[in-house]
Amino acid sequence: MSESINITNIKDRIDRIEDILASVAAGDMEARIQTETEDDFSGIEAAIDLLINDLTEELRQREKVQKELESKLEKIQEQQKTILQQQEDLLELSSPVSKVWDNILILPVIGTLDSQRTQVMMENLLQKIVETGCTISILDITGVPTVDTQVANHLLKTVTAARLLGAECIISGISPAIAQTIVHLGIDLSTIRTKATLQDAMIFAMKQNKRDDEIRALKNIVIPNEHAD
Amino acid sequence: MLEFGNEIKCELLGKFIIENEYDIVTVRQTIRQFAKDAGMGIVDQTRITTAVSELFRNMYNYAGGGEVLIERGEVENHNALIVTCIDKGPGIENLELAMSDGFTSGMGMGYGLPGAKRLVDRFEILSKVNEGTSVRIMKWK
Repeated sequence: MSESINITNIKDRIDRIEDILASVAAGDMEARIQTETEDDFSGIEAAIDLLINDLTEELRQREKVQKELESKLEKIQEQQKTILQQQEDLLELSSPVSKVWDNILILPVIGTLDSQRTQVMMENLLQKIVETGCTISILDITGVPTVDTQVANHLLKTVTAARLLGAECIISGISPAIAQTIVHLGIDLSTIRTKATLQDAMIFAMKQNKRDDEIRALKNIVIPNEHAD
Repeated sequence: MLEFGNEIKCELLGKFIIENEYDIVTVRQTIRQFAKDAGMGIVDQTRITTAVSELFRNMYNYAGGGEVLIERGEVENHNALIVTCIDKGPGIENLELAMSDGFTSGMGMGYGLPGAKRLVDRFEILSKVNEGTSVRIMKWK
């Protein structure tokens, strides 16, 4: 049985395939052979077109994925920037000292006490003590998750410095877990007046205030009497 | 670098570098989270966090920083959280003295190392002058 191969214009058609492949290689993904002739060779031409289709699809997919990755990377970089910015903001957050009552200052400490922040905190507190003449200050450490020896040392120093200016410091907000940890560490905080909650510290400070007022009132009575004598 | 023997089978949870005060805080928080994940209560979480805080501060203050390995392993039938701190600092001349309460070579209170030891279930220290110091602590429920 003999088979005859039926191909027309073989030379031109091979040239065309070469041209199309060259354009595709150069980046023209629209180029297709699209032969109109129907013979034994047209199957190969159609197959090449199909391959180019697949390749185009693959490339499109890849580009899409790459774009997605790039946009994700950009987002992550932006978030990173925000995080860094927030870190700086947090570190720069100075501790506000406010006068909440006659003679009473409150310094709420939140977050971590590193050496830089403690320095700012101490300066603020001492400054405010001098400015207002308050003799009781409450350091609330409810928002401090970890008290290690360095933090305890900073607190001791702050309390001592405030005492030198004539102000009594009360530390409040020591959690049960932190209390146990301080005992195990071996730190002696017995020289500091401490209260469990800010409320307890506030009550203590107001009682202290009342006592001071009474003493002052007594003095006022006594002094005129002295003059009368 | 001084390293401990590998007699304990452990699974590495993380490896960190301590270079500044900020690292101390972030790695400390990471360890608190691992302790929480290991089912430790708030007291144990606070203890190990404070203990590692002391060790990190020592690394930062005396050796300019160091490396931290966090692992989980089986120790004496306990599921332990193991933290190893390795620095290449000046080392400790007299370990016995450094481990005693109230002794400090710097500005601290002198309760860092002995305090950290009391806060954990196992405490190991290796140190060689001019080579560095490695401390490994273990804490379990």
